[in-house]
Amino acid sequence: MSTVSWITARGLFGRRRFLMLFPLPVVLVLLAVLSRSLGVDPGAWGPPVLVGLGLAVVLPVVALIVGTGVLGAEIDDGTVVHILTKPLPRWQIVLPKLAVATGVTAVTVAVPIYVAGVLAHSVRLGLALVVAACLGALAYSALFLALSLVTRRPVLLGLVYVLIWEGLLGNFVSGTKVLSIQQYVIALADRLAPSGLLETTVSVPVAAVMTALFSVGFTVLAIDRLRSFSVAGETS
Amino acid sequence: MSEPTGVIHDIGYQRYTGPRLGRRQVFGALYLHGLRTAFGLGRSAKAKIFPWLVVAIVTVVAAGVTAIRSQIGEVVMTYAQFADNMSWLVIFFAAVVAPELVSRDLRSGVLPLYFSRPLPRSDYPLAKLLAMVTALWLLLGAPQLVMFLGAAFTTGDGMNGVWNELLDLLPGLLYAGLWAVVFASIGLLVASLTGKRAFAAGGIVAVFLMTTPIVGTLSIMPSQTLNELAGLASPSTLVQGVGVWSLGDLLITGDAAEASHSLIGDFGPVYALAAVLLVAGCITLLLARYRKVATR
Repeated sequence: MSTVSWITARGLFGRRRFLMLFPLPVVLVLLAVLSRSLGVDPGAWGPPVLVGLGLAVVLPVVALIVGTGVLGAEIDDGTVVHILTKPLPRWQIVLPKLAVATGVTAVTVAVPIYVAGVLAHSVRLGLALVVAACLGALAYSALFLALSLVTRRPVLLGLVYVLIWEGLLGNFVSGTKVLSIQQYVIALADRLAPSGLLETTVSVPVAAVMTALFSVGFTVLAIDRLRSFSVAGETS
Repeated sequence: MSEPTGVIHDIGYQRYTGPRLGRRQVFGALYLHGLRTAFGLGRSAKAKIFPWLVVAIVTVVAAGVTAIRSQIGEVVMTYAQFADNMSWLVIFFAAVVAPELVSRDLRSGVLPLYFSRPLPRSDYPLAKLLAMVTALWLLLGAPQLVMFLGAAFTTGDGMNGVWNELLDLLPGLLYAGLWAVVFASIGLLVASLTGKRAFAAGGIVAVFLMTTPIVGTLSIMPSQTLNELAGLASPSTLVQGVGVWSLGDLLITGDAAEASHSLIGDFGPVYALAAVLLVAGCITLLLARYRKVATR
């Protein structure tokens, strides 16, 4: 484990605010357990809990808070200078931070969604959701990490993507689903474990290729942006 | 040692002896500044991007609805339904505005400067809250005014038609006010907990988004009482529940009216009580928070 990733992990967990991440997964598990114990038909509670809460809210919101936190918080505080002035290639800064962000997001999301998936259908669905959520965590983290280098307001721009692009437009204009990580995750999970609970219009090859493209493309963009990064004061 | 030879000249410094503005003016200045901050007025172009993006979207939607109604004659959404349909944008707007209003002051440590003025502790958060309520209300109310003007100028029944439209508009504006109060008090409370705007925005969205699927799940539980009370779990469905109870057919039109009644059952007053308690609780916590921050 490199020093950069250790510093990043400590920056994330060293403060009380990381406790903010816990209510989201806990609610997911609670709802799944409650629905199961009351004997509701999984076909009825599966989609709102697994997709509506798990893949559409918990995954992007956790990825947003963590993904913009690993680098954006340091840029905000101005402490990013300490890392930038060390004789490190830029990719050795970006990749460990991306790894930490992906890891934290994946663990936070995968555990509750595995429980929910097992309760809703089968162990196979649970594992499929875990794999898909991990891939989604990678793509989201790469996107939000790159955003925190491209703009000074990464969280708001990330919210525009999650709320307006994926949430609002995804419901009305089906064409935007081709550029929506959420739909890729659903498509991949459905392919790994066909259960009838997950529904999407994006085909599996498109989802796989686009997830890879999102992850690699935004990582390369982040490395490139960090190469010519200029330190500025807080925006007015 | 020689005698000191320096001379102190009287160059005419004077103390201010005129009238001093009091609490009301401080409150008014904070309120006006807060309202301007919400829309990024008097700040750089970067600060205007996000608020005006939301304003642009809701205005375009309202213009589209008006155009469809005047051309085809089909009412796509009533005034009261407008707020419901824009709920995601309201959440986003709250996440943009609330951190700007309170988190910046926390982060830059200027609160002692504010509280060294003749300003009671509670006035600062209340002025900010009022500014945010006004901003949200303008966001939801202005497009309704656009829809009203469009409908008033294309109405076929003369002044009578305009009067009917106005009677439809006023409850819509009141309903928008309810949205504004609930969302502003929750958003401001979350934002006042952290000095980092990024975390404040994330937290606000997490609170609002996380609660919506809870409603979806609770409403398919086998117990009917639980279904009808499910809306209490999320701020947006709570507001909608109050709206269904108080506005009735203005909010839900046509066939949906039957379904909507079973949505909240006979629990309308419970929803109204819950909304009042929620807002009162948030404001109490906000005031408590600022009592603590101010003594630091």
